[in-house]
Amino acid sequence: MSSIPFENCDYEVRQNLIDAHQEAWAKIAAPGTWLDSEQRLAVVAEIRQARSCDFCHEIKDALSPNAVTGVHTATGALSDAEVELIHRGVSDPGRLSQKWTQDVLAGGLSEGEYVEIVGIIASVMIMDTATTALGCPDTDAPEVVTGEPSRYQPPGARVEAAWLPIVEPEDAVEADGPMYPSPKAGYIYRGLSSVPESMRNYWAMANEHYLPGQYVYQFDQTIRAISRPQMELMAARGSGLHQCAY
Amino acid sequence: MLRESTQIADTEVELKDVTEGLSDGTQIPNAEALVNFAEAIVSRDCARIAETRKVVFDTLGNDATVDAGAVASAFHGFVRIADTIGIPYDTAAQGQDAPEIREAAGINDFYRIQQAG
Repeated sequence: MSSIPFENCDYEVRQNLIDAHQEAWAKIAAPGTWLDSEQRLAVVAEIRQARSCDFCHEIKDALSPNAVTGVHTATGALSDAEVELIHRGVSDPGRLSQKWTQDVLAGGLSEGEYVEIVGIIASVMIMDTATTALGCPDTDAPEVVTGEPSRYQPPGARVEAAWLPIVEPEDAVEADGPMYPSPKAGYIYRGLSSVPESMRNYWAMANEHYLPGQYVYQFDQTIRAISRPQMELMAARGSGLHQCAY
Repeated sequence: MLRESTQIADTEVELKDVTEGLSDGTQIPNAEALVNFAEAIVSRDCARIAETRKVVFDTLGNDATVDAGAVASAFHGFVRIADTIGIPYDTAAQGQDAPEIREAAGINDFYRIQQAG
């Protein structure tokens, strides 16, 4: 573990990537929309715990995710529904279903809590994967920050296109804060929109790993040190191994 | 996105490589080194990551190694949003991810599409 992302890395890591990690960790530690700081940092610990969960490995290895029964090896800090969302989201995301989502919600999670946890899963998976990819240790999770969740619910959020509510660009209101760089923002961008703060925090960090929105559909340009086809080949192969149909 | 970027770069790509691994049909420069690195990152096998990362570094240098690692990592987040929120997969690439492309890439065999019937 290291308190500074990419500290003592063998490679010269661009400063905007280091800054993006530092800012993302500070935001993860702050009170969120539906979870307080302590709960959010418990989610971080559970994400890291999931990597060594034997039951997760059994599910991943099974022909069908529903073919095995067992119990996740958890930290003990979170509810069963939270643990199920985190462990399956980390270890076998390509084989989730709408029925599974409904079962997790029925286990006692609100839609807002679900989406906020997904935002943390996605953020931590990117950052921990990036440090591992460059041979660096995981970054230490920050200390707990006191404060209350905002409990802001966007009035335009509705379940229609996806399994969870989404705020379509035309339904965003000023109180949501900055939402979309373009009304054509893809559904991958809209995924966390029912918790606007989670969406903003996630994309501020993720864009420094892939591409800011304005470059995504400019296929003849790259702002990275590998070409766009090289980037997309790595992306597609990684997504394929995750069985992501999107 | 892969298809669009390779068409504009006038580069050959075999879409099936997305699900089956790299073949001779994909002619993107340094594809083997980069795909091996991406696959190692998904495996989280640190020894395999170090071995494949060294090849990328020796071939393409520091900045490309950092950006290759960063890009591969980004898709560890995107897939989790897509698959836990259940966003509609047929809207990928602004709706240009047509059924025949998914079929050619082997994506129609994925669990989620099979479950959707």
